[in-house]
Amino acid sequence: MGLEQYKGDMEMCCRCSACKFIPMQKVNGSQFSYACPSISRYNFHSYSGGGRVNIGAAMLKNGFNYTDKLLHIVYNCQMDGACGVSCNYAMDMEVLQPIQEFRIKCVQDGHTHPALDKVIAGLRKTGAMVPAQGKRGDWAAGLDLKDATKEKVDVLYHVGCLTSYDKDYQKLARATAKILQKAGVDFGIAGNTETCCGGRAYQMGYEADFLNQAKKNMAMVKKSGAKTLVTGCADGYQAFKVLYDKYDLKGSLKVLHISEYIDKLIRDGTLKPRKKVNLSVTYHDPCRLGRLGESWVHWTGKKVPGDKFVFDPPKEYRRGTKGVYEPPRDVLRSIPGVKLTEMTRIKEYSWCCGAGGGVNDSNPDFNLWTAKKRIEEAISTGAEAIVTACPWCEKNFNEAIKESGSGLKVYDIVELVEKAL
Amino acid sequence: MALSKEVYKEFEDVVGEENICDDPAIMPSYYNTEFAAVMLPGNTAEVQALVRLCNKHKLKFRPICTGWSGMFPKGIILMDLRRMNHIIEINEKNMYAVVEPYVISSELQAELMKRGLNFCIKGAGTTCSAMLRGHGHMDQTTSGDDRNHLAIEWVTPEGEIVRTGALGSSDEWFSGDGPGPSLRSILTSAVPPGVTPGVFTKAALKLYHWPGPAKFPVVGHSPKYVLSEIPPNMMARYFSFPSVEKMWQAELKLGEAEICYELMGFNAAMVAANITTCNEEDEKMFNRLNKEVQGPGFFVIIAGNSAEDFTYKKKVLEKIVSDAGGKSLKTVEDPEIEGILMCQCIRISASIRETFRPGGAFNSIPIMGQRDLTIKWAIGAGKAKEPLIKKGYIVDDGGAFFGWGVEQGHLGKTEIFCKFDPRNAEAKAAVEGWQKEQTARAFKEHYFASTMGPQDEIGPALSNYHLWWRKLVRAIDPNGVSPEGGSLV
Repeated sequence: MGLEQYKGDMEMCCRCSACKFIPMQKVNGSQFSYACPSISRYNFHSYSGGGRVNIGAAMLKNGFNYTDKLLHIVYNCQMDGACGVSCNYAMDMEVLQPIQEFRIKCVQDGHTHPALDKVIAGLRKTGAMVPAQGKRGDWAAGLDLKDATKEKVDVLYHVGCLTSYDKDYQKLARATAKILQKAGVDFGIAGNTETCCGGRAYQMGYEADFLNQAKKNMAMVKKSGAKTLVTGCADGYQAFKVLYDKYDLKGSLKVLHISEYIDKLIRDGTLKPRKKVNLSVTYHDPCRLGRLGESWVHWTGKKVPGDKFVFDPPKEYRRGTKGVYEPPRDVLRSIPGVKLTEMTRIKEYSWCCGAGGGVNDSNPDFNLWTAKKRIEEAISTGAEAIVTACPWCEKNFNEAIKESGSGLKVYDIVELVEKAL
Repeated sequence: MALSKEVYKEFEDVVGEENICDDPAIMPSYYNTEFAAVMLPGNTAEVQALVRLCNKHKLKFRPICTGWSGMFPKGIILMDLRRMNHIIEINEKNMYAVVEPYVISSELQAELMKRGLNFCIKGAGTTCSAMLRGHGHMDQTTSGDDRNHLAIEWVTPEGEIVRTGALGSSDEWFSGDGPGPSLRSILTSAVPPGVTPGVFTKAALKLYHWPGPAKFPVVGHSPKYVLSEIPPNMMARYFSFPSVEKMWQAELKLGEAEICYELMGFNAAMVAANITTCNEEDEKMFNRLNKEVQGPGFFVIIAGNSAEDFTYKKKVLEKIVSDAGGKSLKTVEDPEIEGILMCQCIRISASIRETFRPGGAFNSIPIMGQRDLTIKWAIGAGKAKEPLIKKGYIVDDGGAFFGWGVEQGHLGKTEIFCKFDPRNAEAKAAVEGWQKEQTARAFKEHYFASTMGPQDEIGPALSNYHLWWRKLVRAIDPNGVSPEGGSLV
């Protein structure tokens, strides 16, 4: 079905421009009112959620005309779903799904982006979305962790590509492992056998590669016997929890982000952050942990003939409401000395870090431009540090700060928890 | 219709390579119109330069702000004013704000509320340009249309920059009528075509006192935002009445008493749309409210400047409503629903729920005048909707109309919608027929409906204004580069 299944949704767009802004009731002035990096950067309506579905609807009707401009529009989108949240405040229609299907169609029709092709070639060769230098499990040297491919474990910790391979971010994997060890969790890792979740390949439009990764991962999970999978990466979280479910591959696997898992361990008294961490922070909601981390809703039905856009059975829209918003905040609040101040754009209407949808590879300038906007917003709170819960966000923010010369610090939530234990 | 390479380059030199595009890929997102090119000027000087080039090459152009609607001839140049998005000034002392075209109402209002001020947001909604002409939910206290546009910066169709009102003789924006040139009759034409040729690049908007909080305490997640508490000295209620006459009696007296911050003549269907988060929920709520109301009604927000003022206003409200046999809707008395309505109807953040959500489109006939008279016309237009409802062409809203008082009921606006699925050709044709028929009836019965036209038909009844208008347009646009094309929202 692909794009066709969203024909009715795309035709519903009334071009109100809500998709360009955060939900109207949350607009708090002339600063930080924009929701979508793509239209904010490139300004033509075509780069907005509404413009994209207008183009999709027209091309379904009149045929696909792949111009360079069209491909620039398609690949300069973080696929972050902010457009859908703002639209769905008032409208009953899918926004991100048709945009995703349009990108998948571009890839299927051979209209790919060379930088993304290169990344996918790497994925096919090494099972990673980043350059694979050394072995995937090297980060765990000396930690004495269980190998989930050989031993049964309760919890499987899926580390993710960036955290596994990038020497600057392996600290996040080590911090996570130490936290789980302190809590006495029976967990393991797949080490060198771990492979990419496929989530970013999906965002880039490479559906077949995503499915290939998903099948490999679920086979490995089955072998490990783990009933719970914990990710430290928001992309991994969305892939295992939402996308695998969308394609009926997840089964009964329980998927938790490390911030949710730590929150649970703190709540049941297993973990007690006691050491003071004197730091004023603001928290950045990663898109795929927040609004795009909402569970998939399986629905099949038909539009009820007549005057309204309603369905039988009624369709439940994923409006970003049920993402993971409170657990990371509760974890931060539980750390003595940490003072949390919120930015204007938070939770379901959070501004993207810039890296999503493969933009970090396809257009590094736009990626950085987006990250810098977030850093400006973080600085406006007066916080000393921006905390996030995804290595891709952390990497982007570090690069933006380096370029802008700001003194803002960047942490992943696990780094602060580790300091407090 | 494509621009030659040389001409394209001339335009590109003005706005820069990034801000001009003639690629067919972008056209579906711009009204499915094949524009010669879409351009994104960043300031008045660029607009002026583009307009001058249009004159040089005899190319037609039209501007848009947020660009919700509009009609555009094929092959023209579109100026998307999105990059002109700055609040230039908020003058608290003289109570005006100067904005560029792409400042949306929500942004400006949020800045104003921090300063104890507010302005007239148009009913089209808060995602639209703050510069938009028209009427809105707060007309009772903020008036609408001509009253609120003060001095304006206007790039004429020939590319001259004209500064009107006070701005024409000083650097002040406080007045639309002088001491510089007042061009209100040209700049805010209320009759068809309703759009002044050229481009408005800045406007000063009149500001009003805001007795409410600096920021509404909105909690929860989209699409269900609620208020954590009702702000002090504020209250929202919906009253229904035994008859239209009784409702009008109350509306008039409330206007005379000047106690309502907002008096919005919502019908039950619009209340239901506002407070629900999806179409299915909307339908259930409409059925519930329909049983709860005793007849036509309106929604009221009162806002006191002090506890004493609030108590006074509340007492007067209760007395007037009671005298007219009005009944408060219990559903709206629920603080959660009261809060949702209060916030949304001040921030005008749910217009899309009221209009587009059910079917994807709506056609409307707004008429201006004395409320009791225009309501009588609207009752007829509502009855004419009934066959369309029976056939399933339009959403069942009970044939209801809506409207509100302007300037404490001194004037009023009444409007009636048909919401429908535009992909249903039969429904679309039926709605268009209804609109044409009822607009003609309005004209025949001497009501002013903004859907009236064409000009040749209505002009003779209005002092042949259309002939004068055409002479004016020829004078200010001798090259015919700034075509008409419906209102721009």
